[in-house]
Amino acid sequence: MGDMTTAEIRALSKIIDELDYYKILRLQPSAGSAEIRQAYHANSRHFHPDARRRLDESLEAECTQISKRVTEAYCVLRDPRRRQAYDAKLLRKEGLRIQLAEARAAHQRDSVLVRQGRTAQGRDLYRKATEAMADENWPAALQNLQLALTFESDNTFFKNQLDSLRASHPSEA
Amino acid sequence: MANAAVGIDLGTSYSCVSVLERGSPRVLANVYGERTTASVVFFKDDGQIEVGNQAKANIIHHPVHTVSSAKRLIGRYFFSEEVKKARAIYAYDIREAPNHGVRIGIRDEEFSLPEISAMVIREVKQVAEAQLGQPVTQAVITVPAYFNDNQRQATKDAGKIAGVEVLRILNEPTAAALAYGFGRGINQRVAVYDLGGGTFDISILEIGKDVFEVLATCGDTFLGGDDLDDRVLDLLADEFVERHGINPRNDPHAFEKLKAAAEETKKGLSVEEEFCVQINDVMKNEAGEPLPLVRTIDRVEFARLVQDLIQRTFKVCDEALQQSDLTTRDLDGVILVGGPTRLPVIRQAVTDYFQQEPKADVDPDEVVAMGAAIHAASLVGQETAAESILLDVTPLDLRIGVVGGLAEPVIESNTPVPIEQSRRFTTARDDQESVAIRVYQGESRIASENELLGEFEFSGFTKGRRSEVEIDVAFEINVDGIVEVTASDPNTGEQASTSITLSSGLSEGDLDKILRSDRAARVGAVKTAPSASEDKQSLESVQAPPESTHATGKDLAEEDAIDLADIDLEEDILELAESQRDSWAEDENERSGPGLFDASVRDLSAPDDDPEEL
Repeated sequence: MGDMTTAEIRALSKIIDELDYYKILRLQPSAGSAEIRQAYHANSRHFHPDARRRLDESLEAECTQISKRVTEAYCVLRDPRRRQAYDAKLLRKEGLRIQLAEARAAHQRDSVLVRQGRTAQGRDLYRKATEAMADENWPAALQNLQLALTFESDNTFFKNQLDSLRASHPSEA
Repeated sequence: MANAAVGIDLGTSYSCVSVLERGSPRVLANVYGERTTASVVFFKDDGQIEVGNQAKANIIHHPVHTVSSAKRLIGRYFFSEEVKKARAIYAYDIREAPNHGVRIGIRDEEFSLPEISAMVIREVKQVAEAQLGQPVTQAVITVPAYFNDNQRQATKDAGKIAGVEVLRILNEPTAAALAYGFGRGINQRVAVYDLGGGTFDISILEIGKDVFEVLATCGDTFLGGDDLDDRVLDLLADEFVERHGINPRNDPHAFEKLKAAAEETKKGLSVEEEFCVQINDVMKNEAGEPLPLVRTIDRVEFARLVQDLIQRTFKVCDEALQQSDLTTRDLDGVILVGGPTRLPVIRQAVTDYFQQEPKADVDPDEVVAMGAAIHAASLVGQETAAESILLDVTPLDLRIGVVGGLAEPVIESNTPVPIEQSRRFTTARDDQESVAIRVYQGESRIASENELLGEFEFSGFTKGRRSEVEIDVAFEINVDGIVEVTASDPNTGEQASTSITLSSGLSEGDLDKILRSDRAARVGAVKTAPSASEDKQSLESVQAPPESTHATGKDLAEEDAIDLADIDLEEDILELAESQRDSWAEDENERSGPGLFDASVRDLSAPDDDPEEL
């Protein structure tokens, strides 16, 4: 990013609430961790309170506001779990910001959901599979897990369970 | 340049001042050529105040009127462990002030900790002015990275009282990294191992050409070089008891002599294999005969005495590495900061832990002040200074008190600053008129196990049924690591904003009083000194708190903590909140807040109770 004019900084601070974290940091949604860090540094060179000496003093409030949002964007995007929760929120069009604590909790909730199953059928079959495992009825456990995966083919938790069951009871598989 | 901007390392034991000259930092020495100044203040009989190395040298003669290690007490509550410990160790009078604050009693006067620190700041400021031949009005002052908001605020107050505009409160390890990386054009990942007189910090940083990013910082504000001295002191005192059957700990003069000997032993062992303590007259027995002490300590014995303390620092290092997702192999360098890191036993342990030799070209006593000087020059836009951007983090979780005596995290430790986060809460009772917002720093979900930063009341929001009225609370941590909290009603836009009311140390009213009082000149502030216009404004806008008209104990017992609105975030907390709420219905007067602060609730909230103030 090149040097910004006073007018550009004022404009940016006005529309900052309308920008998602990728736009604030000027990143593509596919950006990797190195790019995210570089973008954080580049933005800090402009807006961080340490960098203000080059700027018009009347812009202090605007720069502080932008700087806080830059930090927030960086905190979310650099953390894969937070970023995942944020991307999901963007997809659902539920807002452009996510609180840091919210992002963490959302991820935890998602992972609980994944564990229990996201669909009614998946949850039901997974429950049957765990009951079968408790009874050491391995064929039934395998069958129910396989069926659960037909409803939630991307459920990595189910997949891992199935893999470890196959590994520990190869004869049944 | 008419006025100089300096960097001040305000240390527990020693302070140091530096300035950037022709692009490189220079440490400023006093007229005796001493490059560090003891952070010791001696109050003479005639009312004069002596600060520095001379005051330290005379400490054994005036233990009761000489204040040392004030940094251990600044920004702390009277009931804190550290204050208890200090009261056992130091001969000067440590008293309780209103709102659990701490004051130092000297004859018939009382001084707050920011005032004591202001005297040290004034001393190094004068050293700088004498060297530079021009007034010093602006400074970057460093603090341990692990200092909480109360301690940072109090340090900033000390600077104001001493008549300097505090450009920035800067973390010591970050300052050290800046001094190390400044102008080198390097790209390195380093660990800064900072063992000061009273605190330990470890920071992991990524150093670039102009940007210095702190990846993680961890610390222990209860661990420092003084603790190493104390181990030697204990050994000497026990030896004395064994030899003479008298406990020297009960005699302030004898105790100070042994303390000085312990420190000398530690320093001696930095250069010698062994050190012999030889005191002819520790104290006198009943017959008036002098009782001597002679004891030789070698490096092996010393290492055994302090081994567990050193190991404690590595537990903290483990945590910092884990927080930054790194191992010692990922580090390009280790920088040692603080006088105690000169000790061979520590250097060796650090080398073993990090699997590499620490950087040899860094002076552990001066590097922090140098970094502060570099940053000061950068902040005021001094022409010879290259710009440095320090991306630092907050060391502790910032939390808000909720029902059930719990504290909910809002901003986690090691989050970069500046940052702002807001949370939405609901009221806990029908027709609730005000909420007390308590803000904490610390790692515990139990509110009372954290440091209370302060609390304020918010009223004037929409009234309604419990859990239907919403309140937004915004938390901001600025680049000084200082916290600001704003509450607002999302429906009406009604707002209450405050930088947190200090529960310990000085309120802004107190500070104002000091700055206006006659004693300001003695304590350090030159009343005519040109201070920053913004500082003046903020001080002048603070008037004496109005007499409270309707804040009665009953009102305060009735209004209470706020409840979590964002239900699915922390279900277990909500459950606790629910059950607490039920018990409330039965007993309106039951308070859920930490009992410890009940008394202060009244004191603190009274001035804020007038809606005009909010």
